[in-house]
Amino acid sequence: MKKVEINPITRLEGHGKIAIFLDDDGNVDDAFFQTVEFRGYEKFLQGMPIEEVPRTVSTVCGVCRAVHFMASMKASDGVYGVTPPSAGRKLRELFFNSHYVEDHAVILYALGFPDFVVGPEASPAVRNVVGLIQAVGAEVGKAVLKKRSCAVKIFEVLGGKPNHPVAALPGGWSKTLTEEEREQINGWSKELVELGKLTLQVFDDVVLKNPKYMDLVTGDMYRVEVGYMGSVDENDRITYYDGTQKIIDSDGKLVGTFKGKEYLDFISERVQPWSYLKFPYQKKLGGWQGIKDGPGTNLYCVGPLARFNVASGMDTPLAQEHFERFHATFGARPVHQVLGYHWARAIELLNAAEKCVALSEDPEITSPDAWTKPTSCPGEGVGIIEAPRGTLIHHYVTNDKGIVENANLIVATTHNNGPINLAIKKAAKHFIKNGDVSEGMLNYVEMAFRPYDLCLACATHAVNGGQAMEVNIYGSDGELRRTLKNF
Amino acid sequence: MNKDYLVMGIGNPLLQDDRAGVEVVEALEADGNFPGELEVAYTVGFEVLDKTLGRKKAVIVDACLLGREPGTILKLTVDDIMGSSSLSNSHAVTLGATLKTGYELFPEEMPEELSIILIEAENVSEFSRTCSPKVQKAVGETISMIRDMAASWVA
Repeated sequence: MKKVEINPITRLEGHGKIAIFLDDDGNVDDAFFQTVEFRGYEKFLQGMPIEEVPRTVSTVCGVCRAVHFMASMKASDGVYGVTPPSAGRKLRELFFNSHYVEDHAVILYALGFPDFVVGPEASPAVRNVVGLIQAVGAEVGKAVLKKRSCAVKIFEVLGGKPNHPVAALPGGWSKTLTEEEREQINGWSKELVELGKLTLQVFDDVVLKNPKYMDLVTGDMYRVEVGYMGSVDENDRITYYDGTQKIIDSDGKLVGTFKGKEYLDFISERVQPWSYLKFPYQKKLGGWQGIKDGPGTNLYCVGPLARFNVASGMDTPLAQEHFERFHATFGARPVHQVLGYHWARAIELLNAAEKCVALSEDPEITSPDAWTKPTSCPGEGVGIIEAPRGTLIHHYVTNDKGIVENANLIVATTHNNGPINLAIKKAAKHFIKNGDVSEGMLNYVEMAFRPYDLCLACATHAVNGGQAMEVNIYGSDGELRRTLKNF
Repeated sequence: MNKDYLVMGIGNPLLQDDRAGVEVVEALEADGNFPGELEVAYTVGFEVLDKTLGRKKAVIVDACLLGREPGTILKLTVDDIMGSSSLSNSHAVTLGATLKTGYELFPEEMPEELSIILIEAENVSEFSRTCSPKVQKAVGETISMIRDMAASWVA
């Protein structure tokens, strides 16, 4: 058996690698994705006052710093048995939705769109955000970056500190808004809506109107048939900050709904000896069945595509129009085509921007009543949010002083671990035939996992670029025949 | 404080040597008289661009793992890290991509002088608010270097 290995060469990003095994005919026999996801934060948090946890866990990931902050803050509400007043909740939602816009914009323009705008087989030297800007033009690039910066400004005003939010309180939010700040945020939010419209126009022009790309988006090479999980509101619409978790099987049948600690009734995690990352599965559908898709599987996905599959619609008018178009294009539900993540992500960007406008026009947003003071400490809390890349669960148990005794964190990339393995295997099987590995193979395999927006221990980072990969191709005699690199 | 000048430290403040850039900024803050703005970012990305636009001179300090002796200090220019190898990632925008994007789109707003100081790390996985001894020494040398640079900016 031959082995093709895609290795990261950047140590700061963690220990992720892809190994593809070829059979004697040079076709793909199996493929595996391995990574280190967490750096022991669960242990590090033990002994820490719960009030300090949101600021601490925001360092888990420099990219998605707001999401760990938000999930742990919600868990701290439970630890102290408090519910934020309406204004406090709305401030949190405004903060979180601005982060959504920023995060989705970066993922789409820097990581997702270059595959389509510059081309999936283009050299990595140009298949990146700089190449994208050169392809779409500087004026579009400037507009995107300037509008995106409005999301960062909202994030900073509400977060209480540049770059790193500090406004979390158990039971509320410490940064209230003046009328002047509200007006400013409202103006920035309207710019974000324009960014959402522009983003969907780019996706329309580049992908939806290109038959070759639509074959990739709707074809079987990136189709992974699993179940899905995401948050919905009381009207079964997609929600990000808070809702009810809805989980369906691969046929779209409802498995159940849950809140808070009930996640333990629905999710189990399987340890595999070859990966540091656990494999969650739906325990209501039986025990561990292995990494397989198709009818009967109890693997499931989270993230934009999952949210589009579990929900009936969206809660803002422009995004709802695109939600309907999305499902009309794919037809059958659930949508199992992984590249649909990118489209769903672009629609969610618009949805989050529309929410920012609505929240910043809500008269209650400037209320000073943003905090419910805790009076007791029941000592256990679960915070579940929909991070941009999928469901994030923080679960803490504390003593009666609010000192953390146990912590459990389940992040989106962990939920998606099984499906990511399947997506890589599907793409590898499609693009590697008879031992003929093309130059573009590496990127076609990357395109299989990029929609999930992996978060590989990104608390650290690399000045020379993370996730650089090398594919080594060995002949049946064990000799290295060829090396492909994206660095 | 002069907004024309910026020193930005990049790193996770809780991880031993990854915090080297953060430690440099914290020390300059403690001086209390640094003639420019001081910022910290947990990772590279467009937030670095947000903070860099509109400056005349900027210094970015980061930890690195390039296989050199721990504590080695590298002083680079933007051109040094804007090669094609700096532009690919699956989750974050790299420093090279960020800065190249800035100079492509907003050349008139980017610093006329931008230095990147990298400190070779020894351990980036241990939770600690103190760098390892060799990196700590390099942090001290970097602080002195930046103080000298800042003195020339305002001379």
